[in-house]
Amino acid sequence: MNGSIALYVHIPFCIQKCSYCSFVSYAGRQNDIEQYCQVLIKEIRRRVGKRLVKCVYFGGGTPSLIPIRCIENLMEKILSISQSLDIEVSLEANPGTIGVQHLKELRRIGVNRLSIGAQSLDNRDLELMGRLHNSAAVIEAMKSARSARFDNINLDLIYGIPGQSISSWKQTLEGAIDLEPEHLSLYGLSLESGTEMMNLIECGALPQINPDDSADQYEFAEEILAGKGYHHYEISNWAKAGYECIHNLVYWKHEEYIGVGAGACSYLGGHRFSNTPSLDKYLTSFTEEGGEVTESDEPINPELAAAEAAILSLRLDEGINIEKYNQDYNTNLISVYNKQIDELESYGLLENDGVNIKLTPKGRLLGNEVFWRFLPEAIE
Amino acid sequence: MNQDSIRNFCIIAHIDHGKSTLADRLIEIAGGMGRAKITEQVMDSMELERERGITIKAKAVRLNYKNRAGHQFLLNLIDTPGHVDFSYEVSRTLVACEGAVLVIDATQGIQAQTLANIYIAMEHNLVVIPVINKIDLPGSEPERVMEEIESVLGYKPSETFLISAKTGQGVSELVEAIVERIPPPAGDLNLPLRALIFDSRYDDYKGVIAYVRVVDGRLQKGSKVRLIGEGTQMEVLELGYFSPGPTPADSLQAGEVGYIATGLKSVAECRVGDTVTVTPGGAREPLIGYELPKPMVYAGVYPTQADDYADLREAIEKLHLNDASLTFEPESSPILGQGFRCGFLGLLHLDIVVERLEREFYLSLVVTVPGVKFLVTMTSGEILDITSPVDFPDPSEIAKIEEPWVKISVVTPSNFIGALMEVMQEYEGVYKHTEYLGQFTALGETGQRVRLEYEMPLRSMLTTFYDQLKSRSRGYASLDHELLGYREARLVKLDVLVNDMKVDAFSRIIPPEKAHEIGKAVVAKLKEVIPRQLFKVPLQAAIGGRIVAREDISARRKDVLAKCYGGDITRKRKLLEKQKEGKKKMKMIGQVEVPKEAFLSIMKLG
Repeated sequence: MNGSIALYVHIPFCIQKCSYCSFVSYAGRQNDIEQYCQVLIKEIRRRVGKRLVKCVYFGGGTPSLIPIRCIENLMEKILSISQSLDIEVSLEANPGTIGVQHLKELRRIGVNRLSIGAQSLDNRDLELMGRLHNSAAVIEAMKSARSARFDNINLDLIYGIPGQSISSWKQTLEGAIDLEPEHLSLYGLSLESGTEMMNLIECGALPQINPDDSADQYEFAEEILAGKGYHHYEISNWAKAGYECIHNLVYWKHEEYIGVGAGACSYLGGHRFSNTPSLDKYLTSFTEEGGEVTESDEPINPELAAAEAAILSLRLDEGINIEKYNQDYNTNLISVYNKQIDELESYGLLENDGVNIKLTPKGRLLGNEVFWRFLPEAIE
Repeated sequence: MNQDSIRNFCIIAHIDHGKSTLADRLIEIAGGMGRAKITEQVMDSMELERERGITIKAKAVRLNYKNRAGHQFLLNLIDTPGHVDFSYEVSRTLVACEGAVLVIDATQGIQAQTLANIYIAMEHNLVVIPVINKIDLPGSEPERVMEEIESVLGYKPSETFLISAKTGQGVSELVEAIVERIPPPAGDLNLPLRALIFDSRYDDYKGVIAYVRVVDGRLQKGSKVRLIGEGTQMEVLELGYFSPGPTPADSLQAGEVGYIATGLKSVAECRVGDTVTVTPGGAREPLIGYELPKPMVYAGVYPTQADDYADLREAIEKLHLNDASLTFEPESSPILGQGFRCGFLGLLHLDIVVERLEREFYLSLVVTVPGVKFLVTMTSGEILDITSPVDFPDPSEIAKIEEPWVKISVVTPSNFIGALMEVMQEYEGVYKHTEYLGQFTALGETGQRVRLEYEMPLRSMLTTFYDQLKSRSRGYASLDHELLGYREARLVKLDVLVNDMKVDAFSRIIPPEKAHEIGKAVVAKLKEVIPRQLFKVPLQAAIGGRIVAREDISARRKDVLAKCYGGDITRKRKLLEKQKEGKKKMKMIGQVEVPKEAFLSIMKLG
């Protein structure tokens, strides 16, 4: 694996923007897809260079909107520089945008993991969030994916939706389990100002998100998924044994990755940098010779890297392996964070068995209280 | 200028009745100055004053006016503070004048503070020219207000001017009347110097600047002078008058108004009300009894960040140079750390001081519940001055408690009498007297305007009394108060415990029968303003060991970033950094993080 890298490909196109979305995505720009994919290939060539690619993730936006021909070109380019032909290749798909034929083609060109943005199986929630699909479309998408021989499927679900009852959540979750996905990502809804849903809450048209209800929903999910053989391997992620997402684990293990596309972010050589979020700028200014599309570039010094690694590792069920961490970051975790660890243990948010330091179940719900305490003292 | 041609006068008005606008207009008409220049030079002295629509410090402007008969006059317009907190300063300003223009809003009529100030003016034999302002407004009732002025104050409609300071209507006639009716100053140029200080402020370059009215004799630049009250000796480094900017002169003589630069380091050495005379020799008798303004309201003032204590001390000392009525003593609290127990003239004065500290010195402050000074006689016979609830002795050692009482006067339309009497009762007021002022029309009905007189502990007035008075009279009632003296009281200390820890800053002295009600309100408010913590936090109010109210803040259950992938890491980390910064701004009560706003909201609670 040495010298190999995770590759993220951002597809910033959507048919319609969801009411809670704050990602880089553009509605009504489908005409630019083809050109965009050509630029992506140039960027991949430039950024990846001689490195081997160990996994690929097509995220969005709505990657399932991309015509097969374009994805195929991208895949050819990627596989020509990958370390082997059976690397994990994930693609995000929205129900209603993928037919069996399309899925079969995706499978044929090398996509082997599908992440379906189901979000809910309750049509009220789906409508409220501005999703274009209904619950039947989710079931349909799942069926199609199976018949296209996808055997590694994730469903994204959202809880903590304003007005979502515990019983509605229970139905969504049980409905999702019945579809037998290999992987589940459950996200507590968090809204940023400026999103449509936040505006509705601010003007009183929607109730505030109740954090206690969200906590109940999360705890309910933990319990029911454990009983169904799903391994809770990251704060928001559950998987059947062996189906953990290789690509996402790269982030949580603080390993290097390259992101290509508008707004995409890379972590490489002690820097975290991102491309311009502007589709127009990206399309016109990116050239193989290195036209400037960088939006931000942050050097991650060793101290910050160690802090980030601690925070990210704590998201995982095994937490921080003390010995490995000390070696990787040439530090002493326990002496650096002695005070914080003691305090967090006293609140019941963290546990230390001498080998690993990890979040308790309570700590998983109050992760931010743990994480900020691991930030370095002085940050510019 | 001949003494006979001088007219010294001030404007008396309730807040928002148009004093500043009239002052502008007088300066424009009598002094021939444009509006832009006025704003720039006259009014722009303190940002806070303009924002709050009140005048904190008196000012004086000299105007050269030629009347219709062609005689040249020298008018000195002396500005007065409009708020009851500064009544001592008002009284000293009035003494510096021979006449006053009484401004009453044509839409509102006489208000409580107007009455208080007009009585001081009458006491000092000032010639009063009543003026009804804002006659250009649609809701104005000049006839009704004129009747009220006649029945309450005894001024005939023929003496009363109808003006609009905004449009200038009637102001020229008013200036003529000022010259005709207000007598020239009576002092004697040949007597030894006596000049009254009616305001003073500190200037970084010139030291204390004293605003003076020369009554007898002559003030000479470079002369040695002495203050009869304080005993301070100094040299007159510079003197002059405002026209409207400071204009140096060689002397000021009997009847004139101006300023002297003293080089003194603190206004405490050169206070309002003192009399300037020459030294050696000079006059013996002061012009008016000189007293030190006494703080009536006390509160602890602490920096939000303990590191800022030294800055706070420096800021308070600096402010004190300019505001002798502000007192301060170091104080420390287990929770708030190092700070000061400060004494203020009243709540407005407190607000102004705190706001200036924050605004001009960039400090973030926590202010404790304001209180009064109690006199506590111990069983041992010793008498203690208690200005902080923390120092309140154990009840078993107390023989007697006394607290300051005030006489309050409320002017209101009669239809609010019932509601206001209820408010008075809630705030421990004792009824004294009702006086009928005259007819009025408001809210579409005609009724009576009345003045209610009550006596009440000053302590009761310090929280929500004024807000209640205003809200239950729909803004119509106006309030004035004056100190009566100390009376015996039955009081206990209410403590507030956050997570079983007593918080001094929340303690307050209250009548025992109100313990339950106030305790409940305090813990309810705290529950609202303290964010949920990682553990359950009990909030209790207690009298001694007895819990009188309790609420619990349940533990926080969820606070976690749901998603954290490659593109998010920097952004999510920044959110965590923000969260960490936010924690630093919190005050810690044991392990409980309490936002500064919690202290403010408890302070504002009844």
